[in-house]
Amino acid sequence: MTTTHVALPPGAENISRGGFNLFAGPFWRLPDQGGTGRFALLVEQKHMNSSGSLHGGVLMTFADIAMSQTSRAASGARTCTTVSLTCDFTGPGKLGDVIVAEVRVTRQTRTMLFLSAELVCGARKLGVATGLWKIFEQ
Amino acid sequence: MTTPPAGFTRTELIDPFEIHVGPVFERGAKGARRFAFVVDERHINMRGVVHGGMLMTFADAALGQAAWDVCDHASCVTMTMQMQFLAPAKLGDLVEVTPVLTRRTRALMFFRGDFTVGEETIFSVSSVWKILGVD
Repeated sequence: MTTTHVALPPGAENISRGGFNLFAGPFWRLPDQGGTGRFALLVEQKHMNSSGSLHGGVLMTFADIAMSQTSRAASGARTCTTVSLTCDFTGPGKLGDVIVAEVRVTRQTRTMLFLSAELVCGARKLGVATGLWKIFEQ
Repeated sequence: MTTPPAGFTRTELIDPFEIHVGPVFERGAKGARRFAFVVDERHINMRGVVHGGMLMTFADAALGQAAWDVCDHASCVTMTMQMQFLAPAKLGDLVEVTPVLTRRTRALMFFRGDFTVGEETIFSVSSVWKILGVD
């Protein structure tokens, strides 16, 4: 875990406390940069597919966690649930990659949030996600 | 957890992440396989229901297996997935899907899947797969 920390951007905070979030993670929150929710994932052997690339399920899980966290932060709600999510896989992730999710709120209503996210490793674009979240508990 | 539900056998998984979250179970013939997993403690979120990430990972695994049947184990990758979360699944629930091939071209496969717990559809997916090395 110490070596994991070294590879991550400064200020990374572990947000994986239990359940699937921890089992599939850990996932990290990065310091906010101008209204963008930023999160990180270090790709380990368990995250891979048999072709030597990051498994699509990991990238979608990471997008869902980053976007759900951003929904809660933006709305102040205790619980937001994912209603729909679309993910385009634009490039393969590799073992040891530090993948960063940059999440933006497109629009927020009283009960819903529209979000988009880019998943990148340096200059490489690994995925783009858009989705809809419902505010459950204020 | 590792015992297949009645009528199912274990799917042979080769992706490290699928082995990590599995097992996955199946029944039926190649090209018409039905897939399933049982929600356990590893798969849930802080509210005690299945994490969306697990449903999406299972979807990628099940539709990927179905894609493999269609393209005879050629290398293929997920290009895009669209998902709708309709209802929660709880600890111990059996989540099932029979992926449906909507269309196949030379290089692409279009799939959809409705995921059920009992009679209820809880999750719906459509996805596009690319067969590598084919224009």
